[in-house]
Amino acid sequence: MPTISIRSVSKRFSNGFEALKGIDAEIRSGSFTVVLGPSGAGKSTLLRLVNGLETPTTGEICIGDETVNGRNLRHIRSRVAMIFQQFNLVDRLSVVTNVLTGRLAHRSWIGSVFYLFRKEDIDIAQEVLSRVALTDKAWSRADKLSGGQQQRVGIARALAQQPKVILADEPVASLDPISSEEIMILLREIRDQDGITVVVNLHQVELARRFADRIIGMNSGKIVFDGKPEHMTPSVLRTIYQREGIEDDPSLDMALAYA
Amino acid sequence: MVHDLKLGRSSVEPLPPKPHNLIPTWLIATLVILWLIVRDLEISFETLVYGVEDMAEYFSRYGQPDFTHLSRYLALMGVTLATALWGTMFALIAAFFLAPLAARNFTPHPTTYRIVREVLNFMRAMPDLLLALIFVAALGLGPLPGALALGVHTSGFLGKFFAESLERVDQSVCEGVAATGANFPQRVMYAGWPSILREASGYTLYILDRNVRMASVLGLVGAGGIGLALHDTLRLFDYGQSAALILVILATILIIDHASAWLRRRLT
Repeated sequence: MPTISIRSVSKRFSNGFEALKGIDAEIRSGSFTVVLGPSGAGKSTLLRLVNGLETPTTGEICIGDETVNGRNLRHIRSRVAMIFQQFNLVDRLSVVTNVLTGRLAHRSWIGSVFYLFRKEDIDIAQEVLSRVALTDKAWSRADKLSGGQQQRVGIARALAQQPKVILADEPVASLDPISSEEIMILLREIRDQDGITVVVNLHQVELARRFADRIIGMNSGKIVFDGKPEHMTPSVLRTIYQREGIEDDPSLDMALAYA
Repeated sequence: MVHDLKLGRSSVEPLPPKPHNLIPTWLIATLVILWLIVRDLEISFETLVYGVEDMAEYFSRYGQPDFTHLSRYLALMGVTLATALWGTMFALIAAFFLAPLAARNFTPHPTTYRIVREVLNFMRAMPDLLLALIFVAALGLGPLPGALALGVHTSGFLGKFFAESLERVDQSVCEGVAATGANFPQRVMYAGWPSILREASGYTLYILDRNVRMASVLGLVGAGGIGLALHDTLRLFDYGQSAALILVILATILIIDHASAWLRRRLT
């Protein structure tokens, strides 16, 4: 089973912004890890690097014994699925077709470019759709669904890949509290039942505490906390959410008092 | 009151200097160039004035359209329509394969992007009348060279339109599909075409509409259809038949124009 190893990774974008400043972490297979931090801390960049949507400036990322690079992207991505804040579905395609997109990496282009799928792929799609409770919406266009439903399609697409790892980049940031709860429970279930490694980016402290086995706290491109949820004390939270150059931050105290 | 206003006015900051308005300069420059052209090419508007009477006489010869061979004209119009349809089909097929290579967000390599873009530019730059002349010389008279000429010229247009639509596909949609490990043809078929299907159909209809108009003219250089017949009757000074042919062409173009406008409205 693959472990995600992040080895002294840094990322500087072409506009000069340094999103990650030397990150080291090992994420055990079958774990449920939450990456917590304020906006702009580099959480998204970190996840996108693991899936190969970005390439690190220095350092390397390995999934098991395979280093993520330009040549093995298709193989890496077939095992490392991604869920997005804005769901990133193809609006004009039906729910089923969106889910079947998850099978593309496992199939050559010849049949798939004509939207032809094998029986086994259709079966997988049917199974994951019933798992996210959207069987009745199978033929609806993706953009006709509510936000929570669209995110469930996103999860179904990820599951259809039969991945070893699921990366979720702020999966509940655009959803209402009830849908957020559903999505988090679903992700937790996926980890518990299928043994898939789940890494979730969040900025809600409360959700992180409840669902994570392990929390990685990030602030301005660095890991500032790494441990179990019960070790996340108010002073740790202060370090995670601290804003650069502001020592005494009354709005931070207010926000954390309710977290 | 007046006093207050004055006081208010003096305390308000003056407006920043007005930016220069360049429109009058450009207007004058354009007029000067137009006048120079008229003088240089010795375009004489008097000829136009004196010629009005002659022109009226000439057009009056078309006064009695001769519809005795109407069924033949309609068959010829059919050939012209078929030419336009096949030309559009060629363009559609070529653009379908070329456009994704010429879209920055889909292309497998920046060099491919550059090359295909230039190929499309080149196709667009070749006038279809010129292409038709070349193909007629190479393949002989008939609708095939016409269809090829239209196809090559409009592939350039459709390819560019499609590529630009593909470039406007939301980056998040592309990433959503790419993140599953889909390869180039799969990304194009799942993230690309479905997202721009409507826009692309609209462009194709517009090109078909344009090709019907152009196919009627291409006949004049020997590329078959109703244009060729018109060319012959004009050469024979058969004004009655020419008038009938022109009317058939006009009616067809009007019908196609409205049909395609209606369809495009339905699409968007």
